[in-house]
Amino acid sequence: MSSTAETPPTPSRLRTTLNPDRRKIIYGFAAVVALFVLGDILKPGFATASGIQQVLQVSSFVGLVAAGQTFVILVGGIDLSVPWVLNAAAIVMIAQASGSNGQLWLGIVVALAIGLAFGVVNGLGIALLGVPAVVMTLGMNGIAQGLSLGVTHGLTCSGCTKPPPMTLVNLMTGKTGGIYTSLLIWLAVIALVTFVLSFTTFGRRVYAVGNSQRVSHLAGVNVKVVTVALYGLSGVFAAMAGVALAGFGGGATVGMGDPYLFQSIAAVVIGGTYILGGRGHYLGTVAGAIVLTTLVSVLLATNAPNYARDIVYGVVILVILLLYGRGRSEA
Amino acid sequence: MLERALLSPISGRGEQGPRQLARRRQLVAQNAPLVVAVVLVVGMLAIYIVLYAISLSAFPGTFEAASITDHAIPLSLAAVGQTMVILTRGIDLSVGGMMDLTNALAALKIQGGFLTEALWTVIILLIGAAGGLLNGLLVAFGRIQPILVTLGTLSIFQGLALWVLPSPGGHVATGYTSLFLNPNAPSALLWVILLGLAWVAFRRSRLGVQIFATGNDEQSARANSVPVIRTRLLVYVLGGTLAAGAGVALATTSTGGDATGGDVFTLSSIAAAVIGGVSLFGGRGSAVGAICGAFVLTVLIDILFFANVDPLFQPFFQGLFLVLAVGASTLVGRYLMRRR
Amino acid sequence: MSERDGTAVKGAELHKAYGGVLALDDATFSAAPGEVHALVGENGAGKSTMIKSLAGVIRPDRGRVLIGGEEVRLRSPQDALRRGVATVFQELTLLDRMTVAENLMFGREPRGVGRLIRRRDLPAAAEKVLTEHGVDSVDPGELVENLPLHQQQLVEIVRAVIQQPKVLILDEPTSALARREVEWLFGLVRRLRDEGTCVVFTSHRWSEVTDLADRITVFRNGTDVGTHDELSEEDAVSLMTRREVSTAYSQPEQGPERAVVLQAEDLAAPGLHGVALALHAGEILGIGGLEGQGQQELFHALFGLTPTTGQLEVRGKAKHLRSPRDAIRAGIAFIPQDRKSEGLLLSMAVRENLTLPILGQVAAAGVLRPSTERTTAEGMIEQLHIDARWPGQPVGTLSGGNQQKVLLGRWLLADSQILLLYDVTRGVDVATKQDLYSLIIELAGEGRGILFYSSDTDELAHLCHRVLVLREGQIAQELDGPGIPTEDIIGAAFKEETHA
Repeated sequence: MSSTAETPPTPSRLRTTLNPDRRKIIYGFAAVVALFVLGDILKPGFATASGIQQVLQVSSFVGLVAAGQTFVILVGGIDLSVPWVLNAAAIVMIAQASGSNGQLWLGIVVALAIGLAFGVVNGLGIALLGVPAVVMTLGMNGIAQGLSLGVTHGLTCSGCTKPPPMTLVNLMTGKTGGIYTSLLIWLAVIALVTFVLSFTTFGRRVYAVGNSQRVSHLAGVNVKVVTVALYGLSGVFAAMAGVALAGFGGGATVGMGDPYLFQSIAAVVIGGTYILGGRGHYLGTVAGAIVLTTLVSVLLATNAPNYARDIVYGVVILVILLLYGRGRSEA
Repeated sequence: MLERALLSPISGRGEQGPRQLARRRQLVAQNAPLVVAVVLVVGMLAIYIVLYAISLSAFPGTFEAASITDHAIPLSLAAVGQTMVILTRGIDLSVGGMMDLTNALAALKIQGGFLTEALWTVIILLIGAAGGLLNGLLVAFGRIQPILVTLGTLSIFQGLALWVLPSPGGHVATGYTSLFLNPNAPSALLWVILLGLAWVAFRRSRLGVQIFATGNDEQSARANSVPVIRTRLLVYVLGGTLAAGAGVALATTSTGGDATGGDVFTLSSIAAAVIGGVSLFGGRGSAVGAICGAFVLTVLIDILFFANVDPLFQPFFQGLFLVLAVGASTLVGRYLMRRR
Repeated sequence: MSERDGTAVKGAELHKAYGGVLALDDATFSAAPGEVHALVGENGAGKSTMIKSLAGVIRPDRGRVLIGGEEVRLRSPQDALRRGVATVFQELTLLDRMTVAENLMFGREPRGVGRLIRRRDLPAAAEKVLTEHGVDSVDPGELVENLPLHQQQLVEIVRAVIQQPKVLILDEPTSALARREVEWLFGLVRRLRDEGTCVVFTSHRWSEVTDLADRITVFRNGTDVGTHDELSEEDAVSLMTRREVSTAYSQPEQGPERAVVLQAEDLAAPGLHGVALALHAGEILGIGGLEGQGQQELFHALFGLTPTTGQLEVRGKAKHLRSPRDAIRAGIAFIPQDRKSEGLLLSMAVRENLTLPILGQVAAAGVLRPSTERTTAEGMIEQLHIDARWPGQPVGTLSGGNQQKVLLGRWLLADSQILLLYDVTRGVDVATKQDLYSLIIELAGEGRGILFYSSDTDELAHLCHRVLVLREGQIAQELDGPGIPTEDIIGAAFKEETHA
């Protein structure tokens, strides 16, 4: 550690402003455009305004879940409890609102509170007990699943099979000013998360903790509070997606959250966030979520069989990671 | 030869007495997770026997023992494979997908006479090894995090499984099944013991030591002349092969093939390994512990049954058990560290 | 007996460039069998690169490496080891989750049936090896991670020696060792030399170089500038820096009698037994003693890192520090020895590293104010002459000395009045050390209280107004300075042991 060679040449300002992390975000959105073009070639009409909006709307659910996943992965964690926290929130919202618009807001609040509670417990187990994130969130997923199924007797209770209140359905499927309202909600979330990550002290602390817990602790950052808050947020975002999906899909079903574990992690990773934490941004995740969804839509447009989707998912993730990984010697 | 006088020896605690004691304490501390795992198995079995006796006014016999063992075998195999990978500080999320694929293949192909059955068993294990090799190549040469590599291959294997067996069906030949299983005697226990013994020997082989070294610290392992890349490759190949074995075992223990039947094993194999004391931070753990973990999780289901717990609550208790077991062992570990 | 005819190891006309920087520029170094050869020079002079070339860690761009007179192309350290060159680097390569025995016997384990390792016999075999080499203080059954750093270094050295190398390279072997262990190492090295081994070593401590080395080669700017049998420190320093150095240390002003800023009574924690101390404003209070006598525990206790009992008063107010945050709020700053893993967020910007503890001051209601943050950072960059092009530059791209300045700047921004400096000059080159000394003196002059631990006794002797020597977690002696004779500090550190 003591040769002149340890002092690398000073990087230029431009290269740092357009660092690899930011470039990945740009690549992500470029990939989205390319996929829409490809889709339109394979199936003319794929990339019309309404076609694009539909794809984006489906992306928004992945995007919501992946917002929380981005937060925890930024500090080197992972949230495997997403599927059943999402599912539990959807069930609770449906049961609480029980089809009436008057009860909807209370239902949403309770659902989000439950998401927050699960997330906070995750965070406490990880930050205070020192349980590895994989184990803690895996266990909590089971707990959420068992509670959801047990309490509702396998989703056979009277309240939990009710359709979602019409207000919610309209919100999730309707349009405002020619744009899907759900997309506008997602845009708001994107703006908020971006603001938090880039322009607040909390966001700065998230990156600090993600870079080094030890250094952050020694510099006076309350690492435990940050960790718990992030897992709490992840729970809230999963719950939010649950509520949105229940409104979009017409109710709560068993296993509705299952696809979102894989997709949320994939979106984060495709978006260029480093799995060991400290580097990445939600904007990348947004690109990742849209890439994944567009890809599936393109496949569906070509009438590819079901199993092909899984295979393509896997191949795409690996190829993208191989591209990112090239020239990076760490990890 | 040795001129001790030149060496001004550094003596510290010289007495042999306390040293011996310290070493014994060390031995226990090093193997504490394994001891905990064994205690857990025994404890769970005791609870099971008591609950069984209370609800049926009889003691469980060989049939029950056979049932538990048969159910624990696929998970044991998967957990041992998972352990190999975790020991190198990796993780294998593709276990479930590999089990889907091999389970489907086994249900379709393992029938029609001894020779075909044996041949297909070998082919399926080779497919597992090939899948593992793919993981290993991507981890070792692609420099991608294991969790991401195996997340990708999980999806690929799941897709292949659905391609092989689009809807549940098929079954393994009865003769083949009875080779592993016997409803009236826990003959499958023999396989478990063999698996454990194989591990004990493996732990003492060159590759065994190299796996531990690689998981402990890659740089240091290199400095100790460990071929890190080869070790990683082999670990994933072994992991894939064991997952394939688990897929075959799953096909023999269940009535038919299902291209999604293996999915749950990704997470339960991790759970079994962790309950068995395998450290997710690499370099610490034992496959014997993982087998114990697999039995703990299997017996837990039977306990819940006899405790009259609604099966719908099953995942709740499994999750709770996992969190509590790991949380408690972390706390105990921290307490021991502080006492040192 | 002179066995200098013939070379054991040689790097001839080596060139090595990293990016555009020449680390080795036509450098030649050779050492003979049966000699102890010291390699000295400032950081960046190329000695590490030379060692790495001889050890097979890096491949030089041009030039030849010879082992035993035969030209070789080393592919890896293992390759070098096979040819008889064993190296102990500063970064330890022990497997910390394995026992001392497993580490020592790695690859040479006792084997039984079917070539399987007899794990049961490992501790006894390792014990034998350790005793043969005069190490009696390390339990072979202990996990390496449970050993203190200096014992790990012992194990590392023994492991290199038992490879029976023809050439043993020791890169800064003593920096982690306690005094007694240094003597042990010297004994071991001399024995190896007498048996015909060639030993190459580097050290930042001049006394060790003159004590041990048969020959000394000085490096400067990537090349060798002379090999000598005898060399005085003044000559060596002027060779290394090519400038005459009158005195290596700036002297602090006599500490004025000022208010006590930090007072501890009966401070106790694991490894720390009833320490009392008072630190005054404007004072540089040295903490000395042998390695591992409670210095780190003391610093950790004063920064709220370990649960501690006893009374603590910071600027007249009783405090109970439960976390670094409490300590920072009380105006205490801690600069750890390992700035890479404990001090800085390497991939984040200089600006972000500077403002981390004072985010609240560059934000309103939790929202950062970029322009305020930038001006704050720029002010500190200017004040400390940090060589950063702009505040957004990642701190990992700065040189070591500048990184250390960023770390100091962070706490100056936080307006910390009490600085806990823990071995901040270790592994820092001479020129940067001088910079740091003047900075420390300046900071004390501004009225800050500075607690200064160093593993380099000379530093303590010259830089501190007072020195507290720790032994077994207690203060053994208080020495008044500045200009305390080095022997007094060392004497105080050793006193107890001469009784035992």
